Amino acid sequence: MIPESVKKYITPQVSIAPLAVFRFLFGFIMLVSIIRFTLKGWIYELYVEPDYFFTYYGFDWVTPLGETGMYLLFFVMGLAALSVMLGYYYRFGIILFFLCFTYVELIDKTNYLNHYYFVSIISFLLMWVPAHHSFSLDVLRKPSLRKEYVPAWTVNIFKLQLGLVYFFAGAAKLNPDWLVNAMPMRIWLPANADLPIIGPLLEYTSTAYIFSWAGAVYDLTIAFFLLWKPTRIFAYITVIIFHMMTYFLFQIGMFPFIMILCTLIFFSADFHQKIIGAISGLRKLLPFSVPNSEPTPKKSEEFQLSKNSTNVIGGILIIHFILQLLVPLRFALYPGHLFWTEQGYRFSWRVMLMEKAGHITFNVTDPATDRQWQVRNYKYLTPNQEKMMSTQPDMILQFAHYLEDEYQKQGINDIKITAESYVTLNGRRSQPMINSDVDLTNQDRGFTHKDWILPFNENQQNWFRSLQ
Amino acid sequence: MMIHSRITYFSAILMLSLSFAACSNSTSPDEQDNSDRSEMLNNYGNNIILPAFEEIQTAVKELQVAAQDFENERTLEQLENLQVALKDARIAWQDVSPFQFGPAESILLRSSINTYPVDDNEINDNISSGDYSFGGIDNQDIAGLPTLGYLLHGVGESNEEILAMYTTDAEAENRMTYLLDNITFVKDKIDTATSEWQSSGGDYIGMFLSQENAGTDAGSSLGMLINHYVRHYERFLRDGKIGIPAGVRSAGNPRPKAVEAYYGGYSVELAIANLNQIEQIFAGAGGKGLDDNLVSINNRVDFDTEELTSDIKSQIGDAQSALEQLSDPLSQQIENNNEAVLTSFEELHALVSMLKADMTSALGITITYQDNDGD
Repeated sequence: MIPESVKKYITPQVSIAPLAVFRFLFGFIMLVSIIRFTLKGWIYELYVEPDYFFTYYGFDWVTPLGETGMYLLFFVMGLAALSVMLGYYYRFGIILFFLCFTYVELIDKTNYLNHYYFVSIISFLLMWVPAHHSFSLDVLRKPSLRKEYVPAWTVNIFKLQLGLVYFFAGAAKLNPDWLVNAMPMRIWLPANADLPIIGPLLEYTSTAYIFSWAGAVYDLTIAFFLLWKPTRIFAYITVIIFHMMTYFLFQIGMFPFIMILCTLIFFSADFHQKIIGAISGLRKLLPFSVPNSEPTPKKSEEFQLSKNSTNVIGGILIIHFILQLLVPLRFALYPGHLFWTEQGYRFSWRVMLMEKAGHITFNVTDPATDRQWQVRNYKYLTPNQEKMMSTQPDMILQFAHYLEDEYQKQGINDIKITAESYVTLNGRRSQPMINSDVDLTNQDRGFTHKDWILPFNENQQNWFRSLQ
Repeated sequence: MMIHSRITYFSAILMLSLSFAACSNSTSPDEQDNSDRSEMLNNYGNNIILPAFEEIQTAVKELQVAAQDFENERTLEQLENLQVALKDARIAWQDVSPFQFGPAESILLRSSINTYPVDDNEINDNISSGDYSFGGIDNQDIAGLPTLGYLLHGVGESNEEILAMYTTDAEAENRMTYLLDNITFVKDKIDTATSEWQSSGGDYIGMFLSQENAGTDAGSSLGMLINHYVRHYERFLRDGKIGIPAGVRSAGNPRPKAVEAYYGGYSVELAIANLNQIEQIFAGAGGKGLDDNLVSINNRVDFDTEELTSDIKSQIGDAQSALEQLSDPLSQQIENNNEAVLTSFEELHALVSMLKADMTSALGITITYQDNDGD
């Protein structure tokens, strides 16, 4: 049924080492991320302080758990990350981590980052693989778990996922603003001109072009060069250079480090054995003794799934990857300019592509008294929420509906809410984004095209369509 | 094939690193930009912000002297002197108010000394009981400059009546103490903020001008300056001084008592002074300012930044003319002819998107004083 050329990536038994190291490093970097997030005070700022949260369509039931609840949730998430890292009750730990992390991300789309989506996906995939059958406390706890070999798919799904992320990120860069105008690099790079050594170089327009083109080439090709043994080491050096550059130039948080660690999965089993050796060596430095006698591996110690499990997990993963292929392309179903309307923008690996800023004013009319007034957005929203809303039509609509509810509570029924919005995109003058004649309270939320978004004058068609 | 792609790949990496060196000869950069930015920050720090704090420090010191003179010699003349000193301090405040970051932010300077409208009932209760404290989050409307405005203009219909409240009234001494305590409170706040800025004090100016804060992210000096500038303009000038009293924010119901300096009756004058400072900051007050910075980045964006700069300046001009059409006391203007007030609100409003969207986006400044990750 499955051709041999594909089968060789799925069924053969391969060393568990890459998978075990991947689990360890992912757990580690997640633990660091959670601690960093907490220390920066973001739990409070993002999930306790706001009065209102921009939920995802269909996920309105996801609400924050209150101050104590949120801190507790992050504490549990931290423990889960530690459990993943150490491989201690791993299966429970990774499921818990996936649920906690995804729950937090679903609370408010103001905080949507491709990076967070990436973490959710990786932890989702980690739920289905036996990553704790080596180099883990679970093996010390229960030596019979120890396996030396796992089916190839358990390692390859991560390579595939990483490859998709990079490739779609690269494909998204093939647009006129990025390639022809070097936007938004032309705006962002000079803003870092105060950096030592490379700072002055960032002033040159040609530098912006080099970064744009090199970035597109990098994203489109890196997965292939990582897959191929002869180029792997050079490719990995490029991974480090590329992501460290983004770390220094942009406010991008933990993501560069996450990618630098995750792409190690492309390396060989021997390489990962050395990492395991090095990390195991570190335990000699501990002030207490840790038993180090993982049972000696035997060729026969292979991890085998039952037929039923194979079918279930196989089905889930096939659906997952079909969605991974289709979701980033869904923008093609919407008319208009993708960067302007942002219909189909999220969950599609469009990373660092836009310099967008805006200002929106909601005008309210009470038909009963014919009075008109404006909304103080900052009374309801945090600066960050206000900023994100002012350029994203679905959030604008959501906020209008929230205002309608608020006024209803005050006994003002059947109000009309229109929006006057100015948005700049990639270094152009601002222009109105929302049809200010439309009463937003009459518009429904959902995935259909929002015809109350005014067209973007220049480059009406999206890039995908103009190719056709 | 294998070697070929390896070379291709290598050259991609090399291109990235070597072309930096190459292009330094081939293209001409707008060299001045980086030094422009530090020159601009230097101008803001040393020629605009610090002098503004020192100016209000002097004004508040004179306010205290005038109050002590009034305490010693309770005459109409001393009362009038004190009223003038208060107005001077409130005008000086207009130059400082856009700079509510750093030391000003950490001591909650604005909300401590310029929250209005005041709660006159509670002020009177405090005077009677003699039991009060200043500086709490919940009692900002019983202290600061607006409270002094009430104490010096609002406790009687005429200056004779007001003077009586400090001489013959049963609570004259209590009231005088409350007045003096309030001035001391304002002075402490202003002294702290000013000395934190000065290089001889907390040396915030040193940090403001330091290399590590020379970027454009949320925590950088320029990032803070522009964020607070825009925030001040939007919330405290457009809304606080004009929009809220005119009823734009309260379901169309005007709230004339919500003007700044309701009792003193010089709200329009304060608003104009504040807008003039907004203009001065944009134009760099004779030195390098945001206007020069915008013009110098003309090649980075796809519109004429000179045009944006002149649009901003002309919109500030339109807002100034609209404010000049208003007459003090603003509260009466709102009651008698609110249309003109609403017009000036619209003129002020029209500037917000230019400052908040076009200007910040062109400069690569993120509008949010919240630190967060992006992608």
